[in-house]
Amino acid sequence: MTDAAEGAKRPLIEGAASRRPTGLLLVAIPVFLVGWLVIWPIINAIGRTLWRPDASGTMGFDLSSYVFFFSDQYSINNLTITLWTTLMCAILLLVICLPIALYLRFSHGRLPAYVQALAIFPMFVPSIILAYAFIRVLGPNGMVDILLNSVGLPKIRTPYLTPWGPVIGLVWDNIPLTVLILLSGLGNVANHAIEAARDVGANRLQVFWHIILPRISNSLLVAISFAVLGIFSSFTLPYLLGPAAPEMMGPFMNRTFREVNDPLNAITQAVITFGFCIAFGLFYVRSVARNQGQ
Amino acid sequence: MERVSPVISAPAMAPNRPPIDWAGIIFTALLSAAIVLPLIVVGTWAFTEVWRYPNVVPQQFGLRFWNQTLTRADVWSALTISLQLSTVVTLLSAAICLPAAYAFARMDFPGRTVLFFSFLAGHAFPKFGLLIAIAAIFLQLNLIGTFWGVVLIQLVGTLLFMIWIPVAAFQSVDRRMEEAARDVGASPLRVFWSITLPQAGPTIAAAVLLSFVGTFYETEGAWLIGAPGIRTMPVLMISFINNQMVIQYGAVLSVMLWVPSFIALMFARRVIGGGAFARGFGG
Repeated sequence: MTDAAEGAKRPLIEGAASRRPTGLLLVAIPVFLVGWLVIWPIINAIGRTLWRPDASGTMGFDLSSYVFFFSDQYSINNLTITLWTTLMCAILLLVICLPIALYLRFSHGRLPAYVQALAIFPMFVPSIILAYAFIRVLGPNGMVDILLNSVGLPKIRTPYLTPWGPVIGLVWDNIPLTVLILLSGLGNVANHAIEAARDVGANRLQVFWHIILPRISNSLLVAISFAVLGIFSSFTLPYLLGPAAPEMMGPFMNRTFREVNDPLNAITQAVITFGFCIAFGLFYVRSVARNQGQ
Repeated sequence: MERVSPVISAPAMAPNRPPIDWAGIIFTALLSAAIVLPLIVVGTWAFTEVWRYPNVVPQQFGLRFWNQTLTRADVWSALTISLQLSTVVTLLSAAICLPAAYAFARMDFPGRTVLFFSFLAGHAFPKFGLLIAIAAIFLQLNLIGTFWGVVLIQLVGTLLFMIWIPVAAFQSVDRRMEEAARDVGASPLRVFWSITLPQAGPTIAAAVLLSFVGTFYETEGAWLIGAPGIRTMPVLMISFINNQMVIQYGAVLSVMLWVPSFIALMFARRVIGGGAFARGFGG
């Protein structure tokens, strides 16, 4: 980031020439794509579900698709399972990734390097391969069953096609980014602050609670926001590993759109997922923008 | 671990043997079991001909299913479509994003900051919800089930990476070298070609590779927008898993699909190292 700041401060050699809107021309196509395929669909989705023709064909304000969603028990169940899955994943991710990140921050050598490589590895495993591996390992008569059987233990109750299936898959998938974000936050914790606390007799838990946690709270929130945005409307893993009913919002929207062929209700469901994630999205954008320091 | 000689050891180092790293050993064991084991199981299935429960190792190894998988017409057409899509999307993305990245890094124009951060918009909303909203628009434009519909949706997915990573690359180029070259009479194009590009090149290449691999594995857009006309490799995998076909088909495809990912892993290490990557995600 220092490079960026330096570059911005130094006067450009071209001076007036670079103030010409040539830059605007160069960025026009990507910006247009974001406008057309990100901003416009969102505005369009909100508009189309709220302002549409009624039975007689006259356009008007109409909340009925939302009323239907929140009065339909099946939709409510799907929303509930989505919230439950997201919450479970967020808790598990913190419980798993925070100790890993803390360990990586405060140790050096070959073993931590190996642990870090392992923790980042899932980033390079496409979720479709993960889904397949999950079924072969945790599915009925999978590798875990084989290993348990070989030492004379009973089979597990497989999480495949239960609500725990997507939770396990999504946690696996989100470990690398969570660890990386937390590790980057832990980089802001100065060694001397911890040593000072140790000198006055603080134990490990006190150091964590009073010194480390306040300094990484922002990174924690960013990691959670990022995970929630990805998990809330995830499709592939819940579709392949989760139960048929209730289903998470991703498969639910997909089925409403493609199989029930009901775009209006599918868009309504999409707008509802936007609503549930808006706080996380805004927080995420704000943090990234602040970090980029431009 | 060998004992560090007290003569060489720095004052900060403890003079005694370092304690056994129990935390590291526990993490290594747990992560190996959770992350490496599933992939080994998939790899084993790909080279297995007979593996009946409850044997711990397969009864018979062999390449029979590689032959069967690779002679399936749907596998070849999916592979062709996937490679075509990834190539077209990556080339288009490079063609529109790299000039934009250069402009963001080096030029001053109205609305620069707002436009720069506008690329975050696609990541600030739940992805599948956004895809549904886009699909509703594509439905009216008759882009559902077409090659170019999938190209558009995957192109949008590459924008953030393909602009932000190259911007950082252009900004880290040493401006003094460029100015020096210009002082001795090099043309702007010559400066760009001989000074700027060689320094920014490796990072940009990593971004291009990431976008190629990311597009190759992109599942949800291809599934929602592409069906039924466009069937990519990940979409084919979904149907293999759902229809419970011969187990080995999925395993062979996984191992095959894994190859581009492995290449990405090798190349992306420089981009991901140094924490720059996590910072890009707001860490």
